[in-house]
Amino acid sequence: MSQTVSEAASPTAQRTRDIFFVSNSVNELGGITSWSHQMAGLFAGRGHRVHVIGITEPGEPQDIGTDLPYPTTTLYDEHPPRVGPARGIKGRLNVAERRLRARRERGMHEQAAKLTALFAQAGPGAVVIVTQVWAMEWVELADTSGLLVIGMSHESFGYSQASSRGARVRKHYKDIDRMLALTREDADLWIRRGLNNASFMPNPLPFMPEVPSRRTEKIVTSIGRLHDQKGIDMLLDTWAEVAPLHPDWKLRIYGSGEDEEQLKKQCTALGLDGSVEWMGRTSDVPGALRGGSVFVQSSRGEGFPLALMEAMATAVPCAAFDCAPGVHEIVRDGEDGLLARLGNTGELARRLDTLMSDKELRDRMGELARVNIQRYTTEAVVRRWEELFLFLER
Amino acid sequence: MGAIGERVTPQARPDVSVVVIVYNDAERLPTAVQSVLDQTLHGVEIVIVDDCSTDDSYATAQRLAAEHPERVRAYQLPENSGAGGEPRNVGIGYTVGRHVMFLDSDDVLERNACRNLLEAAERDGSDIVSGLCVRLSMDTRNKKRDQWYPWLYATTRTLESVTELPDLFVWDTLSTNKLYRRDFLVENSLRFPKGMFYEDLMFIAEAYLAAERITLIPNQVYFWHVHERAAAKSVTNRRHEMTNFRHRLEIHRRIDALLAERGLDELRLFKDIKFLKHDLVLHLRDLPFRDDSYRQEFAGLARDYLAGLDRAAYDEVQPIQAICAYLLERGDWANLLPAVDTLTNRDKISSPLAERDGRVYWCAEHLDDPFGRRVLDVTELGYHGKRFDQMFLRNVLTRYEESAGTVRMAGRIANPLGIVGPDAALTAELEFTARRRSLQSFRFPVSVVRYEGEAVTWEASVDLARRLRPLGVVDAVWDVRLHLTADGVRTRTRLTACDPGLAQGRLPVRPRLTRLVADHMEPEVSQRGHLAFRLVTRDAASGRIQDLVARGTRGVPGRLAKSGFRRAKKLRKDLTSGRNKLRVYDEVFSRLPVRKGTVVFESHLGKQYSDSPRAIYEEMRRQGLEFDAVWSYAGSPEGFPGDATLVRRWSLPYLRALAQAEFWVDNQSYPLKLTKRPETTYIQTWHGSALKRMGFDEPAWKLRGKARQDEQERVLGRFDRFLIRSEHDVRTLAKALRLKEKVLLRVGYPRNDALVRAKRLEDASGVRERGPLAAELGIPEDKQVLLYAPTFRRHGGRHGRFALPFDVERFAEEFGDRYVLLVRSHYLNHVVLPPSVRGRVIDVSAHHDVTPLYRLADAMITDYSSVMFDYALLDRPMLFFVYDYEEYVHEGRGTYFDLRERAPGPVVDTEDELFAALKALDEQVLEYGPARARFVAEFGEYDRGDAARSVVDQFFSHWSAK
Repeated sequence: MSQTVSEAASPTAQRTRDIFFVSNSVNELGGITSWSHQMAGLFAGRGHRVHVIGITEPGEPQDIGTDLPYPTTTLYDEHPPRVGPARGIKGRLNVAERRLRARRERGMHEQAAKLTALFAQAGPGAVVIVTQVWAMEWVELADTSGLLVIGMSHESFGYSQASSRGARVRKHYKDIDRMLALTREDADLWIRRGLNNASFMPNPLPFMPEVPSRRTEKIVTSIGRLHDQKGIDMLLDTWAEVAPLHPDWKLRIYGSGEDEEQLKKQCTALGLDGSVEWMGRTSDVPGALRGGSVFVQSSRGEGFPLALMEAMATAVPCAAFDCAPGVHEIVRDGEDGLLARLGNTGELARRLDTLMSDKELRDRMGELARVNIQRYTTEAVVRRWEELFLFLER
Repeated sequence: MGAIGERVTPQARPDVSVVVIVYNDAERLPTAVQSVLDQTLHGVEIVIVDDCSTDDSYATAQRLAAEHPERVRAYQLPENSGAGGEPRNVGIGYTVGRHVMFLDSDDVLERNACRNLLEAAERDGSDIVSGLCVRLSMDTRNKKRDQWYPWLYATTRTLESVTELPDLFVWDTLSTNKLYRRDFLVENSLRFPKGMFYEDLMFIAEAYLAAERITLIPNQVYFWHVHERAAAKSVTNRRHEMTNFRHRLEIHRRIDALLAERGLDELRLFKDIKFLKHDLVLHLRDLPFRDDSYRQEFAGLARDYLAGLDRAAYDEVQPIQAICAYLLERGDWANLLPAVDTLTNRDKISSPLAERDGRVYWCAEHLDDPFGRRVLDVTELGYHGKRFDQMFLRNVLTRYEESAGTVRMAGRIANPLGIVGPDAALTAELEFTARRRSLQSFRFPVSVVRYEGEAVTWEASVDLARRLRPLGVVDAVWDVRLHLTADGVRTRTRLTACDPGLAQGRLPVRPRLTRLVADHMEPEVSQRGHLAFRLVTRDAASGRIQDLVARGTRGVPGRLAKSGFRRAKKLRKDLTSGRNKLRVYDEVFSRLPVRKGTVVFESHLGKQYSDSPRAIYEEMRRQGLEFDAVWSYAGSPEGFPGDATLVRRWSLPYLRALAQAEFWVDNQSYPLKLTKRPETTYIQTWHGSALKRMGFDEPAWKLRGKARQDEQERVLGRFDRFLIRSEHDVRTLAKALRLKEKVLLRVGYPRNDALVRAKRLEDASGVRERGPLAAELGIPEDKQVLLYAPTFRRHGGRHGRFALPFDVERFAEEFGDRYVLLVRSHYLNHVVLPPSVRGRVIDVSAHHDVTPLYRLADAMITDYSSVMFDYALLDRPMLFFVYDYEEYVHEGRGTYFDLRERAPGPVVDTEDELFAALKALDEQVLEYGPARARFVAEFGEYDRGDAARSVVDQFFSHWSAK
């Protein structure tokens, strides 16, 4: 609080803060967990006092290591009761449901009190970063006076509208200090829907491999959970159009998930068993990327896809559905990768064909991708965060 | 959340200074100031400037300054300046912040406004940052919100010069929704003109032009509070005053000079366009209510300015706006006033119109002036194609007298293009209905209706005092309409009372409820210029009672009554909602027994009686089967068969018929949400083979999530039989709709039986039978018939209007002696043909069934429509006019095969190529014969002329009467 205005005006001025990350879980499998711990580590490295908080235990955990340079806390011992929407007279008369609802509400206040206690220990200029809107329901019950509260939406605006998150983001993030989308385009869309506090912040590059791909193997790589969102079914339709043109090429699909069996059936039905390799989940993403010459992404929805950034950092050119502003933010279409309209498998097939047919183009785009992607280095992104903290204090 | 407290110290320079101006608005000033104090950005100071108010405004401002000494300062002008410009100038002088904003005392800033504007300003280094302004109508129940030119603020964007976005320059002329770099204002000596209205226009024009960088952000920043009913209306609401208009023109002249000085001709053109679209229209709309001297003075001022306008601007505005400006400039009052009526009432036809050389003009005058001819040409508006009952005609009140409770009125109704003929049987009646809730209406006969060439005149005498009995209280305003019937066709008009002072007076009435609130009626003129009557009272005491009543309707009991009414309305809506109908379908109708021998037919979602369902139905009738036929219709049942039960789509009888039917026969889809019972057989005839990718082969379907794909599959799984014309259908449609092999019925399309038979007949006899349609359409024996049937186009303007991709007048000129062209647009599009092509080009889009049109046509022009697969069966010449091939085929959803490779006729891209191909039509009969045969073999192998019979034999023959 003693900071003077002249300091705030200077973007290089740096001071250490208490920074809280609040997520659904500390270690739920997925991109948000990877992102949170990457950022937490970066902030801690800059001398900030970081604390990562999860509301509850994860459904499927991710290994985050044991030797973290910051504390973590999980509020609930068991998952809070799930309640359905109480609609109409029927909903109001359902006694069991009402009890459950009341119990959930009491529990939420208890847990929020824990948050209040944690926040109260923070020094001046402390920041709460809420990474998912569900977690915001607890943060908004806690006392955050004197703290900056920043809420994030880690997916594209369009994709969030397809779920209940669209409405919940607008409700719970309405009065916080800043709502952050992943790109300006997404932020503009949120603003047009009435979130006047919306702005944006890109994800940092997860890693920068020492050794890039040499792009000599005739391999197209895909990495992603075998889940509806990743659109592997559309990838197979796409591959069915490309494979006959390039009989010497293989499609390697990394990942596992609930749709595995169905997708393998589809693969067989399309007669692609000879050219598709199911690799399962990998813990060596850089290695998987280095083994390929082209990366393909066929998702129905994304935010600011780390997989594309990783592929580009490995100097592998990408062909992808332009399913989110984050995608055309990362890939400069026609310059360091090629994009196709969402769902147009014929077009994605043509993009793949272009990259697979032309080694020279592949090399040019791959090398340029590795250069271009460095605008999202960790240093650049952390600096933007610190400038944002300063700006919000003015 | 995030309140960090005030941290602006007096010596620190604030990020933003907000200049709040006030004049006689002490009441609202604190709210405006509070909206600045509440900003999420903390470094904001407030400078209040009072324009020498006569109320407590300055005292209020001083109090606010005393309460927030570090953030608020108050100043007063020594004398009133008359407008908002000078206080702002003075305010700028007192500010110390790095940036400046303006706020009016009756408006407020959005909470994050300063923070968002500042962030953009610092990020881009902009001189001006502008955000979205929202107008709030403070007098409406839910504070109606209108965004101010939202299309300018769809996304964040940065301009290096305002010339990059002329729309910003001409449309967003507010000074208040913006943040200015203070040094920018000072260095460029940007000031508001002193003591003039529209001060914003001048200031913002100069600021835009001086700015080296402008950023637009989509965030809402400024809430403009609009008080319609306020006693002291602000300047924009008093626009009828001549001074306003004079000031407006003066400001426009100054800006024009500024643009001329800088050679910004393009910006000037955009500004001229805006003048015609906006500024002039605001004043024109008031003209009908003004007297002659006002009109003359107005015209004098306007004419001068209009003369300097770029004539190219007339092409960029709506036709009626250009017509009004032109007639005003020419001083043609007789034609201008009707045109203003159409300007106010968009659908109205106010002029008798004139047809010359096959084009339709607004009026017969000025056609010798080439520019006038261009402006007055209204052919494209399609007035001439409208039916009498679709027309909304101008009806001018020419006489109004009252005596002893009786009103005698007379009027003239426009008769455009002589649509009412001299011998038409004419009758009319006047109808009075309450504006609010039409609880009752009263009708009065019109005694005289006369044809008078360009007009139909009428006279009536209405005994209002005795015959019109309002309830009182709830029905204060009564609207008047005149229904004119000509040869049995009726059209509705409203009475335009444009002469000021024509309709005046006061009639006694006897409200049914109470005479306490009203005992008289007075004529009045609505904002749209139409005659109405208002209940009034002469008694001073009852005026007070009216106040009481008004308070009652606005107070708590009134609110309760109104909300009760709304709730009742909602309940009624809920009961008839789709969801509840579905519930009735699932829980009631679907539990009733299936009625054997019942078949429900539907074609194209009930829009037509056509296609294969019709062919099957007619075959069943031909065989004399005994069954219960039900046909579904959407809209009007006209044209559907009289010997079937007709049910409106989505009505309860429709749902019940479907739930109990033994068969569903349809060519597109029954409502997706309806579950088919296992006892019901669904025969899906489908409506065309596919060139464009369909179903799950379309990107839009593919990218749906799994849950929605499963739902879609369930819907398609309702088909028990699916008709197939060729193995091409199996490879495309059947696969794309994920149909099982056992569902496919390889019998061809029943609708095409007639085509196959026609071909056989022609081959056998050597004579082409045209059928009765030729005479119906008036096609001479010696002319060949071409059918143009393009596929659906999404783009192409509002109301689904489809602009023909070739010059239809040129076609008529070149080929009118040889061909008659029939134009059939997709049922979601419609076309307008100029009168000049009458008899040579005919719009046949309204015909339900396309098959007779095929048989009539000697050749077909199409693009990607599935009509190609059907028409090919006739073995007649076909042309493929694919002017947007790349866009449609590659950019769109893609095709199953390359049309250019397999088309059984010339594929042409331009009008010239099309016309050249039409000249050589006869040669194509032979040249493309083998190609057509291959095409039919590939895409229509199962169309053998017996499809309807096969279907009927297979499913319905056991219902034979014998």
